[in-house]
Amino acid sequence: MFRFIVRRLIVTVPMVLIVISLTWALIRLAPGNFYEGEKKLPASIEKNIRAKYGLDQPMYVQYGRVMGNILRLDFGNSLRYENETVNDILKRTVPVSAVIGFCAYTLALVVGITFGTLAALKQNSKLDYASMGLAMLGISMPNFVLGPILVLVFSLSLYWLPPARWGGFPSWNILLPVITLSAVYMAYIARLTRAGMLEVLRSDYIRTARAKGLTERQVVMRHALRGGLLPVVSFTGPALAILITGTVVVERIFALPGLGNYFINANLNRDEPLILGIVAFASILVLIFNLLVDIAYGFIDPRIRY
Amino acid sequence: MTETKTARLLAFALAATLISAGCARRDMSNEFFGQLEPPPGQTLRYISGSEPESLDPHMSSGQPEARLDIALYEGLVEYHPKTMEPIPGVAERWEIDEDATEYVFFLRGNAKFSNGDPITAHDFVYSFRRGLKPELASRVAYMAYELKYAEAYNTHGAFVRDPKTGRFLPASETPKPAEGGGEAGAQPQPASPAPHDEESLHRSELGKKGEDAAPDTEFHRFIHTPERLVVPADEKDRAKALKADPKLAALVEGKEFVPVRAEDIGVEAVDDRTLRLTLRQPAPYFLGLIQHQFFRVIHGPTVERFGVNWTKPGNIVSSGSHMLAEHKPYNQLVVVKNPHYWDAPNVRLETIYFYPLEDNTTMMNLYKAGEVDAVYNHTVPASWLKSGVRHVKDYMDAPENVSEFYVMNTRKAPMNDVRVRKAFNMAVDKQALADWRVVVKPSYSLVPGIFLKYPRPKGDGFDPERAKQLLAEAGYKGADGKFDPKKFPTSEVEINYNTNESNRQIAEFIQAQWKQNLGITVALRNTEWKTYLPMRSKLEYKGFARAGWVGDYMDPYTYLNLYTTKEGGDNGTGWYDPKYVAKLNEANREPNEERRMALLAEAEKMLLEVQPVLPLVIPATSWMKKPYVKGLYPNPQTLHAWKFVYIEHDRSKWDQRMPDMSTADLAELGR
Repeated sequence: MFRFIVRRLIVTVPMVLIVISLTWALIRLAPGNFYEGEKKLPASIEKNIRAKYGLDQPMYVQYGRVMGNILRLDFGNSLRYENETVNDILKRTVPVSAVIGFCAYTLALVVGITFGTLAALKQNSKLDYASMGLAMLGISMPNFVLGPILVLVFSLSLYWLPPARWGGFPSWNILLPVITLSAVYMAYIARLTRAGMLEVLRSDYIRTARAKGLTERQVVMRHALRGGLLPVVSFTGPALAILITGTVVVERIFALPGLGNYFINANLNRDEPLILGIVAFASILVLIFNLLVDIAYGFIDPRIRY
Repeated sequence: MTETKTARLLAFALAATLISAGCARRDMSNEFFGQLEPPPGQTLRYISGSEPESLDPHMSSGQPEARLDIALYEGLVEYHPKTMEPIPGVAERWEIDEDATEYVFFLRGNAKFSNGDPITAHDFVYSFRRGLKPELASRVAYMAYELKYAEAYNTHGAFVRDPKTGRFLPASETPKPAEGGGEAGAQPQPASPAPHDEESLHRSELGKKGEDAAPDTEFHRFIHTPERLVVPADEKDRAKALKADPKLAALVEGKEFVPVRAEDIGVEAVDDRTLRLTLRQPAPYFLGLIQHQFFRVIHGPTVERFGVNWTKPGNIVSSGSHMLAEHKPYNQLVVVKNPHYWDAPNVRLETIYFYPLEDNTTMMNLYKAGEVDAVYNHTVPASWLKSGVRHVKDYMDAPENVSEFYVMNTRKAPMNDVRVRKAFNMAVDKQALADWRVVVKPSYSLVPGIFLKYPRPKGDGFDPERAKQLLAEAGYKGADGKFDPKKFPTSEVEINYNTNESNRQIAEFIQAQWKQNLGITVALRNTEWKTYLPMRSKLEYKGFARAGWVGDYMDPYTYLNLYTTKEGGDNGTGWYDPKYVAKLNEANREPNEERRMALLAEAEKMLLEVQPVLPLVIPATSWMKKPYVKGLYPNPQTLHAWKFVYIEHDRSKWDQRMPDMSTADLAELGR
């Protein structure tokens, strides 16, 4: 187990470097640059800027500098927001995205697993149809539709909740974005739980458990859920990484100062250090959560051993 | 059975949602849009556009930053809240010499920074020099190139000195004798800021001294010596420049090169309260230029102490009506009243919350829910306009300092034929376009009709019959001599635009117009903005390309100046006419404003006659403010001097329609 984790962690480093290199190459291949806006700049001004940011140096020097920065985990200053370091921006924005992400994740897990389990236990009942119908709706309704509908109802018609903006944590402001963000995950988790549970409930060891005379509660909580949640676990690991690194659409609709908003704008502005910083952060997170999922498998499923 | 019930239940839930949405829409028939509860006290919550790139006025170029900088910094002059004309700022008055090359500003004695330090002419000298420093690499430094030797300094230029005599070589090898004594007419000069081209190297200006409003000084005598020759200071660049110009190479052979210093720029503090600016060429629009944030005054000691971090809360010292209290990027930027501001007794807003936001629907949601009091321009989504927002009393609809048009590649057939260009222009019904676009006004010329003193030329109207005739004359005709669309090389033209939903819709509209009026189907082609710009600039397109121009300052010249560059730049048409440039230069040397405007209009007429541009529409402001926000006007640039804005808590005094734009009630602001 320990060796497995160490091995995976060692592999993470070159993986991240490859991702960064590819991203860097893509930024350089993409037309345009960070300093040119709506108006064409005079050549003299462009020259001053290129000299200031070392863009007049050979490519390998620039690439070397980028890689050196990454290895020191210091991405330098943003090009667009000159007096902010990429690390400052990450420190400020990750908590916002993480709060929204974690809340949405928790909500999705609690509601999804509860209803998924109930639906599986009472297969073909009204509850089953209702929750699976809603789940279908949740999956098929994109968050850029759900968000505005929620705003329309709760903020603009009933005037109960603020329609947008970050109000710190906890505050009423996060309610709508959290619901919007969690809907799809909630729905997926409910369907995955139901499917997983249905399969497990028919298996031999559950029949054995029932035959032993265990209460229904013990059967479900101790035996069935462990196996039934396996598909959920493999789904939620990467999902959590995505939720934490910010979800562009929701952050835009609700004007949240999170990572996703920055990422989109960094790309539009060709803000190289910021793009690389966010990509590095996100890829490390995805790799770590995948590792955590693999570890969790070992605990949940007795058949898997490392 | 149960399944149909569930389905019914779902359908019901959906219907309920949509009905409540419908209710929300119905609110729009009210007089005002959404909640009408003013914030307590003198607090304004304003949506200012994207997150500011920088609060350093030298390091930003956009409107979102301009809106904040007006609160934080003051310049020599400020924007008139309605007309955008220059009104006194730190300078209480100014004098301009006859040919508009020397501006003397008299600063008020009680102007102070937010830490209580007095603002003197030396602070302006520091600010201008710092903004032009090549190492700072400001993107907007070119705005100050009108100052003598500013471009030379910003581009690492060097004067040329004869080591034997110690004399500096003048820009003109053989200075022409002055005609009729002291008052010499300057030579026609290119208005373009193109650096180090042949023309600017040989640009000549004769030594002259107008009647000066401030005493003569050593610097003053220096800045009025004949303009010195400037060559690149860097050896490699210089070698390149000299190679291209053997005459110049011969001239500077064996000479010394003295780098241009910040101290050589035409900015002088005659004394603490007198600032003298000397320009390289006549620029009657200069006052309108220095309203820009680049020319606002910054606090030298703070900048030097904190470097790139000087604008962070806690470090920043500012000069405007308000000062920075808090900055949370992508969330909010809070400014509070500056107690040291010279006009503080007349500043009413205690706090302004600027929310950096980009999503229009989100903004309008906040506005409707009463969480913000006003928003910036073009923020009302089209679908909301169509559902009636246009008719509420808090909607601001006025023409802007912007022009939207298509440029044509005049170097590529078939658009190299003026008849073809004119025909395509005449075949677009711009009134129909404007009606369909809702928040624009139709346009037949390049310069928008916001300049009251400018006799705007008319330009060709909608005339599809004449268009067909012109195309027939250009050779696209059948055996009967009539225009035949099949003869037209459709594959050689296309409408290019940068990727954007609204650009696509406009292009489709115009495509339909040409199909209907000429029978020609022109293909559409979209390109991402960053790729689009160089493509247009280098004329790597065929047919038409979308263009738009936001005026840099309140003068028709900001538009007409687009077509004074031969290659590259913002021209994008390939059209260049020295006569047009000469006409503009003539206008800029004309001290009489009325005559100057007439000359500018003549230049525009020349331009419209050859039609390198196809005018489309002039955008309208399209923004909203709650009726309790007073002193905020739909001016042509949507830039507001915050010192005039306040919250009216007395309901009976609330605005019942778009504020009156006549200047009678603000007469004391004029000079």
